Amino acid sequence: MASHRLSARGAGRWLADATLALAAFAAIAPVVWTFVNSLKNRVDIATSVPRLVFTPTLDNYVYVLTRESARGGLVNSLVVTGASVALGALLGLPCAYALARRTGRWTHDLQFFVLSIRFMPPVAVAIPLMVIWLGLDLYDSRLSLVVTYLLLTLSSTIWLATPAFRRVPREIEEAAAIDGYGPFSTFLRIALPVAGRSLAGAVAFSFVLAWNEFLIALMLTTSDAKTLPIVASELTQLGRDVPWGILNASVILLSLPPLLMIGVLNGFLTTTVARGARRGQH
Amino acid sequence: MASIECRDIAKRYGDVEVVRGFNLMVADNEFVVFLGPSGCGKSTILRMLAGLEEISAGELRIAGSVVNELEPGERGIAMVFQNYALYPHMTVADNIAFGLRRAKVPADEIARRMAEVCATLGLEPYLARRPAELSGGQQQRVAIARAMIKTPRVFLFDEPLSNLDAKLRNRMRVEIARLHQALRTTTVYVTHDQHEAMTLADRIVLLKEGCIEQIGSPQEIFERPRTRFVAGFIGTPAMNFLDLRVQATPPLGLELSGVAGALRLSGARFALGGREDVVLGVRPGHLKPCRDDGAACLRGTVDLVEYLGHDVLVTLDCAGTPLCAVLPVAQRPRVGDALAFAVPEEHVHLFDPASGLSLASAAQSAALPLPLPAQRLNAA
Repeated sequence: MASHRLSARGAGRWLADATLALAAFAAIAPVVWTFVNSLKNRVDIATSVPRLVFTPTLDNYVYVLTRESARGGLVNSLVVTGASVALGALLGLPCAYALARRTGRWTHDLQFFVLSIRFMPPVAVAIPLMVIWLGLDLYDSRLSLVVTYLLLTLSSTIWLATPAFRRVPREIEEAAAIDGYGPFSTFLRIALPVAGRSLAGAVAFSFVLAWNEFLIALMLTTSDAKTLPIVASELTQLGRDVPWGILNASVILLSLPPLLMIGVLNGFLTTTVARGARRGQH
Repeated sequence: MASIECRDIAKRYGDVEVVRGFNLMVADNEFVVFLGPSGCGKSTILRMLAGLEEISAGELRIAGSVVNELEPGERGIAMVFQNYALYPHMTVADNIAFGLRRAKVPADEIARRMAEVCATLGLEPYLARRPAELSGGQQQRVAIARAMIKTPRVFLFDEPLSNLDAKLRNRMRVEIARLHQALRTTTVYVTHDQHEAMTLADRIVLLKEGCIEQIGSPQEIFERPRTRFVAGFIGTPAMNFLDLRVQATPPLGLELSGVAGALRLSGARFALGGREDVVLGVRPGHLKPCRDDGAACLRGTVDLVEYLGHDVLVTLDCAGTPLCAVLPVAQRPRVGDALAFAVPEEHVHLFDPASGLSLASAAQSAALPLPLPAQRLNAA
């Protein structure tokens, strides 16, 4: 009886493992395939039977990185994403702190309004914004894109940082008040560092959001302010002869910053969590 | 050092009044404990003293000047919280020095005071650690050091020992008592633990539902409780309460009887004011076993015997009413035994059944109002 149940449990575990492996394969295989293809020349790609053994080449990467449009796109992406994330944090974190600590009649409505910005379909915003920026003579500029992305980064930063600030024990801030610190220094010296870990997550999330943004950038830029996703998508329009190797290389390059961001964050999280757990044993 | 004066202080949240007309004068150097069940408003009053909670009405003076509108940092107070409230991202040394840095105390002065405080509390080995790397007792010691180093005029403690285990709690309690003996800083200490209150306090302020039930030295509160609530709250095991009828009144001698038996007293200490029903209060340790020879006594059948070490706690069934008595182990009864008890008159408490107020006569209660802790001050 007991062994019977044990084997049933074993089968269940096997099934769970298999499902997990399948899901992992489905997630990783396309990435690996893209990476492998980015190292192939066109002859190796354009075969009916995929080749696993080939002479790797960095030509595709060199081509992408030496192209004027790709480099311009990279600079634009870094400037626009960096500026909108930094401004989003600068404005959003104090706002989130206020929402977390000064609860009043409007707190809930304000918080919901912030979230509702994220509900809105980007197309619905993009067209009016296009008209506005054209009217202001700022269409296809980095400035207009930064301000537009600020809507994204600000709302996601506020939405994710408010609960992080709420988790800071109130007594710690009260202790600071008794030590003579006012609300501003309590925010800077206590709330920010104590909630730091979760806040880094909120900022990283808004970075990934802005970096990957495509639709709004497509509608608000034509040449000067084009971001990397737009440039990469244009590589497919080079004619009938699709440059698969170059396309794969640009996809890999495009994915690197968010991956690094998540990797750094993840490593940061695991070390601090592990340290916290070790401390907890004392 | 400073006195604290509370005049008609009240706290309202909307229409709900959680503290009403709170009046208290805490003398310089005094150690006052706010004691009461949870929700009695003791922490709220402490937080109003600290400036963490707005005072809805009334006047608060520290060292003679009104501080109602002052920020917590400007009141000359230091506070120790129940969950320590240490800054988790700072080292122990930074935690302790954080307040002095704000006050722009020179670095060498901070170092000197830090060495002094840490020597007193035995914190030298931990200065470079972070709070999460310390045990609960060590963390609370850091919190006390953080309060001490500011040399405040008033110490406020908000249930500082509640998160510690029983053994550590006893040790820290002794440490706090020693600290107060050495520093003599005016202290207000909130707890729900009567043992802490009895051992630490010069005076106890016993609170119930936002009102003061009684103010007095631990001995006064234990020996002359003003209300039935105070009598039941203070003392372990808790006081017995029995409903009795008045059969005869002085000068004939006071005769009381009920289901549990009868009592015959001189009654000189009580002013019954013509009441026909009273509630008798007697502590389990004050019940004296006696022979049941038909004279006035309390009778019951042993229901449960709990071994306490030196004593046994006996629970009796007196015709449906429970009665507890503490007996020496040598006199340990068996379950089912019939026992009789006499109550020495000096240990009898009588309460009004409706209001719960003590019926001790005016001469008795005259000793109660706000005595200053002269005996402790002289001793120092």
